[in-house]
Amino acid sequence: MPQFFLNKRLILLLVSIIFLVALIGFSLKDRKELTWSEQFVKDTTGFVQFLFHQPAQLVAGFFENVQDMKNTYKENKLLKARLEEYVMLEAEVQTLKKENEELRAVLDKKESLRDFIPIEATVIGRNPDRWQEMVIINKGEQQGIKKDMAVITPSGLIGKIQHASQFTSTVQLLSAIDRQNRISAYVQGKDGSVFGLIEGYDDKRQALLFKQIPFDAKIEKKQLVLTSGLGGIFPKGLPIGEVEEVVPDEYGLTKMAYVKPAANFYDVDEVIVVKRKIDAVQEGETK
Amino acid sequence: MRKLFLPFLAVVFFVSESLFVELWPKHIWDEQYVFVPRFLLIFLLFVTIYVTRTQGIVYGVIFGLLYDVVYTEILGVYMFAFPLIAYVAAKVMKWFHTYLVVTCFLSMVFISVLEFYVYGIQLLIGKTTMSFEQFYSYRLLPTLLVNALFLLVFSYPLKQRLVKMHEREE
Repeated sequence: MPQFFLNKRLILLLVSIIFLVALIGFSLKDRKELTWSEQFVKDTTGFVQFLFHQPAQLVAGFFENVQDMKNTYKENKLLKARLEEYVMLEAEVQTLKKENEELRAVLDKKESLRDFIPIEATVIGRNPDRWQEMVIINKGEQQGIKKDMAVITPSGLIGKIQHASQFTSTVQLLSAIDRQNRISAYVQGKDGSVFGLIEGYDDKRQALLFKQIPFDAKIEKKQLVLTSGLGGIFPKGLPIGEVEEVVPDEYGLTKMAYVKPAANFYDVDEVIVVKRKIDAVQEGETK
Repeated sequence: MRKLFLPFLAVVFFVSESLFVELWPKHIWDEQYVFVPRFLLIFLLFVTIYVTRTQGIVYGVIFGLLYDVVYTEILGVYMFAFPLIAYVAAKVMKWFHTYLVVTCFLSMVFISVLEFYVYGIQLLIGKTTMSFEQFYSYRLLPTLLVNALFLLVFSYPLKQRLVKMHEREE
């Protein structure tokens, strides 16, 4: 028995297992901020990743362009057909916007949950083991990014900032499994909107789970799901996806909808981090 | 300059994993399949076998920590696994001759071991709900496929480089 404990390697192994458990415990704790050493390592590797990333992206971009050329004719045809529709829509949007502004001026209500300041960022890395779906972007606290801000691509919401260090930050994608990851959202229905929460992601169906919908709410397929801005961090009106199927949830008291995400989580190069204008104003006031 | 060669190579392998995932063509196969590049582990095994065991373990600790901090944000997982695998690989290699085929085969075995280990930890801490069958067919097999292709292309030049470097040092 003493022989057994004298074995140096075994002791080393045991100590490192204890160390491993302690470290995992430490990192699973709900941390507001990363330690400065982690931030430093992240920023340094972020710089190296950025150096490698640019040429690689160029080469990949070239091949993508060749692929695009093949589809150009077909796409062009489709786009031309859509163009007329677009002009009409544009005119309508303009008048509505103007009307909205006028009405707001009448009400003396300047801020809205919808307004946000966009911060553009480039994706410089992605978690290779893909257990947690995360991407690394090249903007950090120095550029005004904070934890929990919404991250979008032009097509829709893709996730939120998980941790921000000084010059880089990590984005947790909506497809990550995280029970604390709840987003207040609503469905644009014909008769009023229906509120609920986006909670989780179904890997098999590749759809987000939109839960806590009142049982009598009328939701149909193809209806748009948007952020409601009531959660406190995200602005209102960012597109999340469209309803795919509505089912009663496990207890039968509320309904649940499968939502097909509007943005592609696999193909993200450029993202926009969204800073809510209301928060920015309040910050300025408290300073 | 020559002393910097190995660290530089390690950094290249480290960054290449993230680049690979990012640039991997997304729509060719079903998106359910997850191809995990384990190039860094392959590099560590080759260093352990063709350079020295100590270097393999030291690189394992450093880049395992980097991997944890930068990519996964769960500290300790890879920092523990990489050096341990390097150590075991060195032990196992005492029984075999260092043929390239043996090294490649061993790499595949250890990649599976690492995948199982990480899957186990993810299950334990409740970050995944994937069942074993799903893990096996959507993660393990595609991962092995990708890394086998990588070994097919890069194992020979990598071995030559490392062996040459080691000889020069001696």
